[in-house]
Amino acid sequence: MPAAVDAPEETLLTSAATSFSQQSTKVKDLFSIPPPLKKLFDKVPVLVYSPNPLPQRTPKSARIPSLYVFSTPKDAAAGRPSFNPTCLKWQTFLNIAGVDHRLISSNNHASPTGVLPFLLPTAHASASSQDSILPVPSNKLVKFATEHGAKVQESPSMRYEAYQSLLDHRIRNAWLYTLYLEPENFDAVAYKLYVLPTSTNLLVRASISYDLRIAAEAELLKHAPIIDIDDLYSEADKAFEALSVLLGKDTWFFGGDKPALFDASVFAYTQLLLDESLGWKEEKLCRALRRRDNLVQHRQRLLVKYFGG
Amino acid sequence: MVLELHVWGPAFGLPSVDAHCLAAIAYLQHAVPRGKWTLIASSNPALSPTNELPALRHGKDWIGGFRNIFHYLAQCSAGEWVLDAGLSEQAAADCIAFSSFVESHGQPLLDLSLYVSTQNYTAITRPLYNTIQSFPLPYLTPPTIRAAAKERTAHLGLSSLDIDSDDSVPKDDKSIIPESLRKPRATVSNLLASTPETAARIRLDALATNFFEPLQLLRGKKRFFVSNDQFTSLDCLALGFLSLMLLPELPQPWLAKTMTSKFPDLCAFVEKNKSACFGEVEVQDAFANEAAEKRTNERVLLPWQAPARGSPLTVGNAFFTSMADNIPIIGQLRRNDRMRQFSNKSADETTAWRRLTMVGSIVGAVGLFIGFMFHQGFITLPPTHEEEEKRRGLDDFGEAGAALAALASHMDAEANFQRMQEQRMRDPIVEVDVEVDPLKV
Repeated sequence: MPAAVDAPEETLLTSAATSFSQQSTKVKDLFSIPPPLKKLFDKVPVLVYSPNPLPQRTPKSARIPSLYVFSTPKDAAAGRPSFNPTCLKWQTFLNIAGVDHRLISSNNHASPTGVLPFLLPTAHASASSQDSILPVPSNKLVKFATEHGAKVQESPSMRYEAYQSLLDHRIRNAWLYTLYLEPENFDAVAYKLYVLPTSTNLLVRASISYDLRIAAEAELLKHAPIIDIDDLYSEADKAFEALSVLLGKDTWFFGGDKPALFDASVFAYTQLLLDESLGWKEEKLCRALRRRDNLVQHRQRLLVKYFGG
Repeated sequence: MVLELHVWGPAFGLPSVDAHCLAAIAYLQHAVPRGKWTLIASSNPALSPTNELPALRHGKDWIGGFRNIFHYLAQCSAGEWVLDAGLSEQAAADCIAFSSFVESHGQPLLDLSLYVSTQNYTAITRPLYNTIQSFPLPYLTPPTIRAAAKERTAHLGLSSLDIDSDDSVPKDDKSIIPESLRKPRATVSNLLASTPETAARIRLDALATNFFEPLQLLRGKKRFFVSNDQFTSLDCLALGFLSLMLLPELPQPWLAKTMTSKFPDLCAFVEKNKSACFGEVEVQDAFANEAAEKRTNERVLLPWQAPARGSPLTVGNAFFTSMADNIPIIGQLRRNDRMRQFSNKSADETTAWRRLTMVGSIVGAVGLFIGFMFHQGFITLPPTHEEEEKRRGLDDFGEAGAALAALASHMDAEANFQRMQEQRMRDPIVEVDVEVDPLKV
């Protein structure tokens, strides 16, 4: 095109520039917001809020592992015994094994397995794997304690399992009955410990206490067609008798020079049944225990040694 | 007066299909002199006040449950018919502890082996109830027992043995490991290649070994479990449980296999004491009517007495009783009533008050829930015509519609504003029009 060749370069440039600017305005028009929408958007300014702070009660990253148990916040801070037998068993075990931990008052909803207790280890800077900060359920606590340098000695006695079954069935069943299904005790003890802290609403409280009692009843009816109260108490009485004979004149069960998990399991029930501050009203089970002097002293020894009296 | 021991009927060459019944039979066989008691395979738990068998009838008194029976025997014989007398302190304690151990650890094993495992249950256990119960009852009893067995063993996580139940419903898994990281579940081809019993073999073996090992250690070289010359209540219980583990011939014999291969001493104990206690038992022994025929028969060791022929009325009664127990809410109420009757505690004020608050709270909770549903809009009343009309508009375009609606309302506002301004500008003109009227001036 001769005209184009003749034309001075500036013209070319300007024409190119104008055509480009025309095009670009066209493109801009295509992508620009239509004025009414722009007005609308101007009314909605984009504002980025600063991130919310964590709730006040969020656990601070702790130096030591946290054991989540049924307890009152005050008792938990003071390291006093939990009021739930299973929690108390593992709390005592950790104390005996010398695993430094702090207690956190909690309830079943907090637990990944649905039951308390569980232990939340500290996140180690060195250990990068996810495992190190996964919660430890109660059945893995012995392993956890051994991994963290505690010496856990378990007696290999053939009687271990049998006497453990006394605690896990005979005494536990009597405990369930006396705590949840004995109306006086339920109102005086269980209601105060398990129901009052959960809600201030009367309806919710009534529903929770109903649930608790039904659950206890269902648990007892699993093993027998009806709840035979006399049988429950007499079996628990015999169980305490057998445990008392097993302990004999020894300081700790199975003749150990140091308490072990079995001592913790026994203590979990004896402590709670002998604890005056719980305010038992129907004391049949407590009386059965008080008759066994060496079990009472065994509880006293553990209480003094690991809970400061 | 002759004592009557009512039990579940015979099976597997044993006088009863239930471990506690076997224990009670062994106890009476050792403690009570012959001729003072009879054995009745009534197979009807409703007879006993605790709704369980074994049950002992002494005149008008009914005593249910193995433990209650041996306590009662000690009482009514003034301490004569007692097996555990004279044991050393340690032996008595062991007797108590191991009794608890046998019951608590043995029962789940029997449950798994005889009731939960589908093959064993359908091939052996369920059919055998036909031989010990009269017509409509075998349709109700085994499923009830099986359901209870499943509940008792639920915590062991071995429900896979039961392949009847529908697994398509995703289970409420308690694991904290996220779905994507879990190992794959058993697939169909896996299941076809192996029975659930082989898949769970290691766990079952471990469970069984945990049960047998302490028992074998306790017995050691002694003749019986806690003493060398005295047959105790623990031996009765152990005999009941161990013989039911060893003797039945099942399609999935994992329990008997573990026992014979690893614990021959226990098997020897069962064989020896079984023949000494029960002799040879055949099903017809229990139901044979001619007492004379039995007396001449040397083979029969036990004092069988044929159960009372169930009239249609009693059978019907038992049938409807067990039916009612299976209906969810009614069954629960019946159980509660039974418990209250048994515990002899009349419904006092506290329970009445408790019931009242309970009903109140349930009504309140339901009301609150429905209110909440309304509030959240899960439930709505059917829309009226007017509302329908109102809906038509920009709302039909969803979120874009909402934005446009905002725009439209904005434009409406602008139009309004303009109209108002126009009006304001027009007003003075109107005034002028009114004031200046050339015709009047």
